[in-house]
Amino acid sequence: MDDAVIQTTDLRMRYAQGELSVEALRGVDFTVRAGEFVAIMGPSGSGKSTLLSILGCLERPTGGSYRIAGEEVAGFDESKAARVRRDRIGFVFQGFNLLLRSTAAQNVELPLFYAGIGRNERRERTRAALESVGLGERADHLPRQLSGGQQQRVAVARAIVSRPDVVLADEPTGNLDSTSQDEVLAVLGDVHARGATIVMVTHSREVAEHATRIVHVLDGLINADESLVAAAP
Amino acid sequence: MNRLEHVLMALQALRANWLRGLLTALGIIIGVASLVALTAISAGAQEGVSSDLRRLGPNIILLDGEFVTLPNGQMTATDRTLSNGDLAAVRQLPTVTAVGQRQIVEMTVSSGRRQTSTILTGIDETFQRMHNYAAGQGRLLTAADDRAGREVIVLGSKPARRLFGGAPAVGRTVRILSREFTVVGVYAPKGNLGPDNLDNQALVPITVAKRVLFGGESIQGADVQVRSQPDVASTMDEIDSLIADRHKIGDGGGEDFSTEDQTQIITAAAAATSTFKTLTLALGAIALIVGGIGIMNIMLVSVTERTREIGIRKALGAEPGRIQSQFLVEALALCIGGGLAGVAIGLVAARLVSKLAGWPTLLSLPSLIVAFASSLAVGVFFGHYPARRAARLAPAVAMRHD
Repeated sequence: MDDAVIQTTDLRMRYAQGELSVEALRGVDFTVRAGEFVAIMGPSGSGKSTLLSILGCLERPTGGSYRIAGEEVAGFDESKAARVRRDRIGFVFQGFNLLLRSTAAQNVELPLFYAGIGRNERRERTRAALESVGLGERADHLPRQLSGGQQQRVAVARAIVSRPDVVLADEPTGNLDSTSQDEVLAVLGDVHARGATIVMVTHSREVAEHATRIVHVLDGLINADESLVAAAP
Repeated sequence: MNRLEHVLMALQALRANWLRGLLTALGIIIGVASLVALTAISAGAQEGVSSDLRRLGPNIILLDGEFVTLPNGQMTATDRTLSNGDLAAVRQLPTVTAVGQRQIVEMTVSSGRRQTSTILTGIDETFQRMHNYAAGQGRLLTAADDRAGREVIVLGSKPARRLFGGAPAVGRTVRILSREFTVVGVYAPKGNLGPDNLDNQALVPITVAKRVLFGGESIQGADVQVRSQPDVASTMDEIDSLIADRHKIGDGGGEDFSTEDQTQIITAAAAATSTFKTLTLALGAIALIVGGIGIMNIMLVSVTERTREIGIRKALGAEPGRIQSQFLVEALALCIGGGLAGVAIGLVAARLVSKLAGWPTLLSLPSLIVAFASSLAVGVFFGHYPARRAARLAPAVAMRHD
């Protein structure tokens, strides 16, 4: 288990809604090893988005343990969580979530900027990341000058530019037509092939089959875990 | 280096929305500009009051007689209650250093077809010396003019300009009622005392004034100079009782004269000035606070509009402190820009007021610094809350925001 990038034990999440409280996660034990490409599937309300949110340190769990690369982060406050996101996690969102007034390159270099990396190195790594998703020529375009698939590829470049321990993708193809969907899945596959660890939430079996492993979530618990690669390396 | 980039990045949002930034900063611009201009004006007015005191001569009591009441209860039009004997008695008081007579009436003075209304003042040489008159052109009145009853006149700068334009006045003749007076001088400008323009006067020897202009020998009033300021109040009491005695006014009888401390008139003017100053400062401060509220308001709108952006930045690893400083830098930039523009506009406004209204203004570096520093303080104070609110947004919630 030494190569576990993500390891949760009895992870719990309870949302208070006035008098009521809803338990979105009811004790999730979940491990992702370096180099895996895991798809999380489940119907809406199953807790899969909450799980990804906690894995991304965007929300703090109400119980249980969460380790990233061996470091316990479940109790981190917002400042520490921000540093974990900056240094260890790359995000790809359903709605792209690019800054609309900034160019593709400016969007991609943002995580490096917040990590305090100097300008020259930032430029170089930004250019390399954009080239790796096939958008080296579009560095100076604004998001509105790009297609949906291209915008999501910029988001993938942004997610990998800081060389995170894990890339978290939340319905990365949810807003895309089928051509763009293939384009983005190909890029993600490419990123994975070059060694990145990816956890992706999707409700589509077709999309999930691009992964090496599918985890099914239902009612706040993992109820199935299937490996798609017969012989894991 | 990275800090500078951070500031530049924060300013990007302002550049993208520069018109809104300008409108937002307008409140600060107006506040700072009015602070600068108004303090310059009120400092000028205050300086004016203290120079009034120096210019008008210190420690002077104004003594005025009233019109004589006849036994049938009517007042005469010309005869006053003060006599030469009264003045001689006042002069004997130990604390009194000088008594100068004056006779004042508003009259029309003409030269050829030009005429002007001025305060014609009959004075003696003592009065002229007490009040620090100085010759601008020609000479002042002399004791010899008075003794010989020469029909000569010294003009203030205002009637001189009205009657002769820019031409030299000395040696010319002016007409008052049916008499002709030779202009022997124009006295140096004395400025204003409260609402009175002291340069709209014409001085004639008191004997001539009594003989040809007012008729009769009675005395309208006199200015009494006292040895030193602490003696003024007690001397005024002595004069009151001395003249009451001489006029045989018993206790409770109506007095037929009045005394007044000239310094009091000026300090009353000074008090009015300082009230004015307080008011202007309050107005400027209110303008600044309103400007600050405007900035807070727009920054709050901006935080709401950019909730999603804030969420994205946080997801990418921006710590709360980074977000807070980003928004604080924006608010500060608005206030610094507004403050600088306000100082510039305030300086121009103060200049214009000096030029157009003729009010004295006094600019001081400390007042500029205070005005600018308050705009900074407004930025920090009113920028803090929106920035903090932005910093505290939960990233997961913020990104769901449309």
